[in-house]
Amino acid sequence: MLIPLQNKLFLLVITSIFLNITMSTAEAKSATAKQVVVRFQANVLKVMKQGKKLGFEGRYKRLEKAINESHDLTKITRVVIGREWGNLSEEQQQQLITVFTKLSIAAYAYNFKDFSGEAFHFDSEEKTTRGGMIIHTHLTIPKDKSVTFDYMLKEKNGQWGIINIIANGVSDLALKRSEYTKILKEQGFDMLLLKLNEKIKTYEK
Amino acid sequence: MKKQKKNLYLVASLCLSALLLLEGCANTNGSIVSNDDPYEEVNRSVFGFNASVDNYVGKPVSAAYDYITPDLVQTGIGNFFSNLKDINVVLNDVMQGKLLQAGQDTGRFLLNTSVGLAGIFDVATMVGLEKHNEDFAQTLGVWGVPKGPYLVLPLIGPATTRGIPGMVFDAAANPATYVPFPIRSLELLNMRTQKAGTFKIIKEGALDPYLFTRESFLQSRKYLVTDGEVELTDDIDLDSSIDETDFGK
Repeated sequence: MLIPLQNKLFLLVITSIFLNITMSTAEAKSATAKQVVVRFQANVLKVMKQGKKLGFEGRYKRLEKAINESHDLTKITRVVIGREWGNLSEEQQQQLITVFTKLSIAAYAYNFKDFSGEAFHFDSEEKTTRGGMIIHTHLTIPKDKSVTFDYMLKEKNGQWGIINIIANGVSDLALKRSEYTKILKEQGFDMLLLKLNEKIKTYEK
Repeated sequence: MKKQKKNLYLVASLCLSALLLLEGCANTNGSIVSNDDPYEEVNRSVFGFNASVDNYVGKPVSAAYDYITPDLVQTGIGNFFSNLKDINVVLNDVMQGKLLQAGQDTGRFLLNTSVGLAGIFDVATMVGLEKHNEDFAQTLGVWGVPKGPYLVLPLIGPATTRGIPGMVFDAAANPATYVPFPIRSLELLNMRTQKAGTFKIIKEGALDPYLFTRESFLQSRKYLVTDGEVELTDDIDLDSSIDETDFGK
C-alpha cells in the first residue's frame, strides 16, 4: 500500500519529534551531576569572555538558558522560603518563583561581566546521605587567591539540578534563607516581593 | 598640639577600622531571635552606627586614597602588612599543631622579608609558598572553645565572644600594632580600599545587609576553623528542610 507524500512527511515529522524527545530525555538522564556543574561553569566562563560585547541583556539571555538548564530554581525558592511556603497561596508561590528566578539570573548577568583569565577546576564529588551529590570545584583567579565552589545537587525526574552553591564555605542558600524568612515573617509577602524586585532593578541599571 | 595631632590620628585610625565592618543599615527589629545572635537588637544598632561611620568617613577617604594611589603601591602596602601578620600565622600554626605549615610559613616570612624587600613583594607566593589564614580565634576553635554569641563591635565590626581574646592576642603578636598611628592608619585605609568590592556586593546584593553580614561572617569563620571542610551535616539540614516542604512531589 502506497502512503501519500503528505502522510509520509507527517510521519517523518512525528518520528523526528518522537526521536528528538527520546534522545533529549536520554541525554538529560545521562547527564551526571558533575556534567551539569561542568557545563554550567563552562557557560558562565563563555559569557564572561564575551561579557562586554554582550552587555547586560545579552548576558542575561545567555545565562537564562544556562541557569534554567542546570539549577532547580523552583526547589531553591521553596527552600529559601522555608516553612512559610505552605502558608502562601499558589499564586504567591508562583510569583515568588518567577521573581526569584529573574533575580538569580540578573545577579549572575550583573556580576559575571568580564573575564581576566579565571578558570574552574573539578576537585572531587561525593554523595550525601539523602541521595544528593556534592561536586567540589575551585576557581582560579590570576594574581589572587583561589575560591572553592561546592555545588549541591538533587535529582528530580532523572535530571540533576543545582540547589545550592557554597563559595569558600559560605552557603548561598543559607544566606538567602536567613534573609527571606525573616522579611517574610516580619514584613510580609508584599514587602519581600518589593525588595526582590528592587534588587532586580539595581542589577538592570 | 602634638597631643592633639596624636588624638586626631587615633580617631582617624579608629574610623578607618570601619573596613572591618560590613556596611548596611539596621532596617528591621529582630523579633526572630537566632541562637547565634541573642543580642541582635543591640548588634543591629551598632551595625547601623558602624555603617554610618564607614559611609561618612571610611568610604570617602578610601575613595580619595584609591584615586591618588597606584594599584602597584596599594599591593605593596598590603603585602608589607600582610607579611608582618605572618609572624602571627606561624605562632597559631604551632599552637594548632600544624608543624609542617609552621615551617612553610616561617620560610614564607623569611623569604618575603629578605628577597621581598621587607615584605613589599610577595616573592613567596610566586615560588609556591601559599599564604595561610590562621589567627588566635581559630586556634581557640581548634582547641574546642565554643564560639559564643555573635557580636558587632563599635568601629571593629562582626565578632563572636571567642573572637575577642583572639583579637587581643593577635594584636599583641602583630608588630604593626606597635608602629605609630599614621602608619597603622595607612594599613587600615589600604585594607578598606582593597575590600571595596566586597562592600559593593553586600550593598547591591543583600536584602538585609545585617543578616547577610552575620551569616556570611559566621559561616566563613567556621570554614576557617575547619580548614575548608564542608560539613555534610549542614547539607543534611538542608535536605531535611527540603523533605519538610515536600520536594519532589
